[in-house]
Amino acid sequence: MSTEKVNKVTLTSNEGSNIQVDRVVAERSMLIKNLIEDLGDDAVAGHPVPIPNVNDPVLRKVFEWCEHHRNDAAQSADDDNDNNNRKKTTDIDEWDQKFMQVDQEMLFEIILAANYLDIKALLDVGCKTVANMIKGKSPEEIRKTFNITNDFTPEEEEQIRRENEWAEDR
Amino acid sequence: MPAAGFSGMPPQPAKDDIDTTWTYLQDGITMIMMNLQQGIDLQTYMGIYTAVHNFCTSQKAVGFALHNHVIGSSQRGAHLLGEDLYKKLSEYLSDHLRGLVAESKAHTDEALLSFYIREWQRYTDAAKYIHHLFRYLNRHWVKREIDEGKKHIYDVYTLHLVQWRDVLFSKVSEKVMAAVLKLVEKQRNGETIEHNQIKQVVDSFVSLGLDDGDSSKTTLEVYRFHFERPFLEATQVFYENESKQFVAENSVVEYMKKAEARLDEEEERVKLYLHPDIAIPLKKACNKVLIADHSAILRDEFQVLLDSDREEDMARMYSLLSRIPDGLDPLRTKFESHVRNAGLGAVAKVASDADKLEPKVYVDALLEIHTQYQGLVKRAFKDEPEFTRSLDNACREFVNRNEVCKSGSNKSPELLAKYTDVLLRKSSTGVEDAELETRLVQIMTVFKYIEDKDVFQKFYSRMLARRLVHSNSSSDDAETSMITKLKEACGFEYTNKLQRMFLDMQISKDLNSGFREHVQTLGTKGLDSSYSILGTGFWPLTAPGTNFNPPDEVSADCERFSRYYKNKHEGRKLTWLWQLCKGEVKANYVKSAKMPYTFQVSIYQMAILLLFNEKDKNTYEELASTTQLNNEALDPSLGILLKAKVLNLEPGSGGASKVGPGATFALNYDFKNKKYRVNLNVGMKSETKQEEAETNKTIEEDRKLLLQSAIVRIMKARKHMKHQQLVSEAINQIRARFVPKVSDIKKCIEILLDKEYLERLDEDEIGYLA
Repeated sequence: MSTEKVNKVTLTSNEGSNIQVDRVVAERSMLIKNLIEDLGDDAVAGHPVPIPNVNDPVLRKVFEWCEHHRNDAAQSADDDNDNNNRKKTTDIDEWDQKFMQVDQEMLFEIILAANYLDIKALLDVGCKTVANMIKGKSPEEIRKTFNITNDFTPEEEEQIRRENEWAEDR
Repeated sequence: MPAAGFSGMPPQPAKDDIDTTWTYLQDGITMIMMNLQQGIDLQTYMGIYTAVHNFCTSQKAVGFALHNHVIGSSQRGAHLLGEDLYKKLSEYLSDHLRGLVAESKAHTDEALLSFYIREWQRYTDAAKYIHHLFRYLNRHWVKREIDEGKKHIYDVYTLHLVQWRDVLFSKVSEKVMAAVLKLVEKQRNGETIEHNQIKQVVDSFVSLGLDDGDSSKTTLEVYRFHFERPFLEATQVFYENESKQFVAENSVVEYMKKAEARLDEEEERVKLYLHPDIAIPLKKACNKVLIADHSAILRDEFQVLLDSDREEDMARMYSLLSRIPDGLDPLRTKFESHVRNAGLGAVAKVASDADKLEPKVYVDALLEIHTQYQGLVKRAFKDEPEFTRSLDNACREFVNRNEVCKSGSNKSPELLAKYTDVLLRKSSTGVEDAELETRLVQIMTVFKYIEDKDVFQKFYSRMLARRLVHSNSSSDDAETSMITKLKEACGFEYTNKLQRMFLDMQISKDLNSGFREHVQTLGTKGLDSSYSILGTGFWPLTAPGTNFNPPDEVSADCERFSRYYKNKHEGRKLTWLWQLCKGEVKANYVKSAKMPYTFQVSIYQMAILLLFNEKDKNTYEELASTTQLNNEALDPSLGILLKAKVLNLEPGSGGASKVGPGATFALNYDFKNKKYRVNLNVGMKSETKQEEAETNKTIEEDRKLLLQSAIVRIMKARKHMKHQQLVSEAINQIRARFVPKVSDIKKCIEILLDKEYLERLDEDEIGYLA
C-alpha cells in the first residue's frame, strides 16, 4: 500500500490539539500499531490520528511515558494471554514511580487512557501504583484515600468480613 | 460524550445503548466487508474502535454489574460487557454469509471457484480489520469468557472463520470441490490451468480446521475430510481408467515409462499447489492404481527383460515395484533362478571334458557370470541388499552344484585352489603385480561362495608347500596378501598352518646363513647346500615311502647340518624328506660340449648319476642296492634319465628292454641338448594324480575328525541334548568349512558313543561323559 515509511505520527486529542511523536513511540499503543498496519503508512502520513477519548494533558503524559520506554520489548499482538509472564510483584521501577507521582485524577485518567490505547505495560504500572496505595491500609483508610462513601449496611459488612476471613493478617 | 471535534468523523453513538451503538458499527463493518479495497479513513477506524471501547466501558453497565455481583457472586471481579456486541456481530456475519450462499448458486465450475476464492479473500481480509477494531472486546469480554471455559466463544477473527465454516462452507464445499477436481482432471489431461486457484482453495480449507477444544490451534480435519478424501478418490478413479486403457494399447515397457511420468507428475503437483499433508496418501493411492494393480503384468515382463538384458527397463521396473509393499519379492526369485541358470549354462559350456578342464577357464566362467549380474544389481537395482542376497544365493548354487561338480562337490574348491597356484607360481607368463592382486581379489569372490572351504584349504596348503619347498613362488607379497585375504574371510584358525609354513621358510633362511658361517669357520669345504626345516603337523607332507642311502658327498653335509641344528635346538628330531630334495650336477664327461651341461635333478637321480662317476655301466640291481631305493622311487627316476638320454639302456645284456630287474644302464657320452641347464626333476603325471586322490582321501578323514570334535565341543558345553538338536547344532558350527551330511553326523555320533565319549539317555537324549 505504501511507498514510503512514515517516521512520525501526529495524534489529535479530544480538544483538537495535535502532538507529534515518533512512530516507534506511537506504536507502543497496540491500537495505533494495528491502525497503521491496517490502513497503511499513507493513511497517517500528514493525517493526524484522532484520539477522541483522551484529552491533551493526559495524551502528552501518556506519550511521555512511551517516549521513555521506546526501546522496551515490543508488545506482541497475542500478549493478551501472557498472564503467566506478568510480574506478580508490585515493584515499579524508579522512573515509573516518579512518573506516577501525579494527582489522583490524573492517575486514573492515565489508567483509562492506557486501557483505551491498549498500552499494556503502562496499564500495569498504573494499576500497580493504585495497588500500592491500597496496600497495608484499613478499609476506612482506603475509603479516605479514594474518597469513597461507605454504602454497606452493617449486616452486609459483617458478611463480607466473614467471607474474607481467610485473607486477614494474623 | 466526547466532542465531535474532528471533521468527517461521525458522532459517537450513545455509549450505553446497544441498538444505537450497533447501528453505528454496522455501517462501518459493512464498508469494511464490501468495500475494503477503497480503503477506510482514519476517522471511521477510530470511530468504530472507540464505539466498541465505549460500549464495553459504559458507566451504566458498570453500575449494573456492581449491583448484581457484590454479594455471593461466583464470578471473580467485575462483570465485563460485550455479549450483546458479540451476538450482534455473529448475527451480522451469518446474514452476510447467507447472502453469499444465495449468490453462489448462480455460479458453477470455474466461475464458482473464482467466486469462492474472491469472497474468501474479501471476507478474511475484512476479518483481520474487524478483529483489530474489536480488540477491546477480545481483550476483555472474550478473554474472560474463554478463561471461564465457555464453549463456542471465539476471538473475533476465529468467529469469522467459524461462521464461514458453519454457514457457507457446509453448503458450498462440495460444489467447490467438484470444480477443483474438474480443473485437476483437465490438467491431468494436458490442459494448462490456473493452479493458483486450487492452492487458494486448499489454503482456505486448511484455515477452517479449527480445534474446537482450543481455538488458538488448528487441525487438518476439515481439510482432510472435504479436500483430501475426494481428491484421492478422484485420483484413483482417473488413473484406474487411464492405466487400464494404456496397458491395453501399449507394451509393458511403454506403460512403465508412462507410470513413472505420472508418478513424478503427481509428486510435482503436491509441491506446486497441494498441501504437503496429502503427499503420502496421494503417493499411496497412485502406487496402488498405477503399480500394484498392474504388478502381475510387470513381473511377467521381467523375465523378458532379463533375457534381453535391458538394464534400463529393469531399473525402471525396480524403481516402480519398490514403491509398493512386497513388490520386489517375485522379481528377486526370478532374478535368482535366472542367475543360477546363467551360471550353470556357462559352466556347462566349458565343462565338455571335466578332467582336462583348465582351472583358469573354469574360474573365469564363474567370475564372468558373477561380474555381469553384480553389475546389474548395482546399476539397475541400486545395490539393494535383498537383490545382493539373491545374487549370492544363485552364485552359491552354481558354484557348488554344476556340471563340473557332478562327480563331487570337491571339484570347485580344487579347481579354484589350482588356479590360485597357477597365479602364484613363478612362470614365464607371469602377470604383473597389480593385475595379480585383482586376480586374487577375484579368487576371493568365488571363494566366498565355496561351501567346502576345507577342501580348498587342503589343496591350497599342498600347493603352497610345493611352492615354498621348490621356492618357485612368484612373490612373497602376493603369498602374504592371499593368506591375509583367507584369514579375513575364514579366521585365524583357517590360515594358521599356512602362516606357520611361511614362517618356517623365513626361519630356515636365517638358519642357512648361520650354517654357512659355521661351515666356513670349520674350514672344510662343504656342498653349496640349503636346508628347510618344516614343522611336523603344519606341512601336508609325509616321510618318504622308501629307504634311501644318500651319496657320500651329500650325506657328509647333511650330517654336519644335523649336528649344527641339534646343537642349536636340543631334543628335536629331524626327518629327511628325501623325495623333496633336489640338486644340480655338472656333466663334465660329455665330449661334444664346449661348456659342461648342468643337470637339475632330484636327489634320487643325483644318487643314481653319481654312481656313474665310478663306472660307466650299472645294472638295475646295483643301483637299487647302493641307493636303497625301492622300485617305486627308482623306476620313475631312471625313466626320466633314460628319456632325456642321459643314460642309455644297454641292449642285449640281460635282454631286458625296459627299466626293471636285469636291465643295465650306460652313461651316454654323446649327450646333446639345446640348453646347457637341463631340468630332469619333472614330476610324473601319475604322481600328481595320485597326490590328488590322496588329498581327497585325507579330506574325508579330516572331516570326520572335525565333526567329532565339534560334537564333543557342543556336548561338553551342554552336558545333554536331544539327538536332533545336536545334529542341527553341529551343522551350524561346521557350516563355515563345509556342508556336512546328516548321515555323516549320525555316524560320528555313533563312533563317539562307541568310544564312550557320549551316552544314550532316555527319549532320544544324549549325554556327555567326562
